[in-house]
Amino acid sequence: MRLFVSEGCPQGLKVLAAAGASGAPVRLERLPQGGHTIPYLTRPQVLALHLDSGTFLFSPNAICQYFFLLSGKEQSDFANQWLEWEAMELQPAVSAALYVRVVQGKKGEEILGTIRKFLSYINQSLTKKATVYLTGDTESVADIVLWGALFPLLQDESCLPDELKALKNWFQTMNHLEPCRKAAESLLTPKGAQEFKAYLQKQPAPNV
Amino acid sequence: MAAGPGLGAEELDLLEKSLGLTKGNKYGVQGERKTPVLQTNSGPSLTGLTTIATHLVKQAKKEQLLGSNAEEKAIVRQWLEYRVTQIDGQSNKDDIRIILKDLNLYLEDKVYVTGNNFTLADILMYYGLHSIIADLTVQEKEKYLNVSRWFNHIQHYPGVRQHLSNIVFIKNRLYTNVH
Repeated sequence: MRLFVSEGCPQGLKVLAAAGASGAPVRLERLPQGGHTIPYLTRPQVLALHLDSGTFLFSPNAICQYFFLLSGKEQSDFANQWLEWEAMELQPAVSAALYVRVVQGKKGEEILGTIRKFLSYINQSLTKKATVYLTGDTESVADIVLWGALFPLLQDESCLPDELKALKNWFQTMNHLEPCRKAAESLLTPKGAQEFKAYLQKQPAPNV
Repeated sequence: MAAGPGLGAEELDLLEKSLGLTKGNKYGVQGERKTPVLQTNSGPSLTGLTTIATHLVKQAKKEQLLGSNAEEKAIVRQWLEYRVTQIDGQSNKDDIRIILKDLNLYLEDKVYVTGNNFTLADILMYYGLHSIIADLTVQEKEKYLNVSRWFNHIQHYPGVRQHLSNIVFIKNRLYTNVH
């Protein structure tokens, strides 16, 4: 199967990390920005998995789920809940925050303000559960998906407030997992968040 | 008319009945989007339409509706996500047109959303699109012929439609020059 990821696409991280974590044999191909990969979609796709059967998957979370399913891991209700929350609430907020930071050059509190409630929610869940990972004591697709969503923003730790201790611990644990480290190395250069600039500039300005 | 913000708890009642679950759960709502919340008897609550819907399918022991292999399962998850992130709350006419155009192309060679098997993705896509399809003109229904064919098929699938209005599709083409 072939995984198409366009240069600087933040969602590529979670997909690459999920492929690594589940051992899925994936061939990575870089897409030019604005490239068309999926014949039936009007808008340009920045990420797609082309299966050997000919099927295209275009949802980053469904691609991550597919990799875990291939390795024989069924998904719990709680993993589903995290993924639905990520797609509906977290991802739009993080994309907007990343845009404000990278394209509009704002810093610190101005960015944190827009995503603090989402970070607190994750922190609270981790504290309440008292497990290392989001759904238990081993990492699941939910950890990979949330880490991949947050990394482009939180890799600069000034965006990660100290009082969110459980979140900070979890994030650092995830950063050290080999599949996550490798995904970040293969998609990002030492430019940090600026890596995403060309990609983000092409997105519509968010309503913050 | 704008597409409704999904059907929320009402939709989950419809789903329970179509799955043959007779007991009927109670649902709350959370936040601005009125995200449905299910308080399960045995444990903590579950939040989110597709999360609860998936849980109900397992409760009804109809797991085949979630897909029968890894690929089909991933396709079901993808279109459930598409339903809640792309279709729900969509009120912009141009965006709705793009959704219908894309779905029309996608469904060209398919009976159901995953291909040949009826799944939860068909049920929730049908509920989510109902108010959009109800607003289409005869000419638009012909233009999005594959969507119309699929939609008509699902609304006649046993137990799915219930009290939702039956949408009329004309079998003979009126606008033969529309492709």
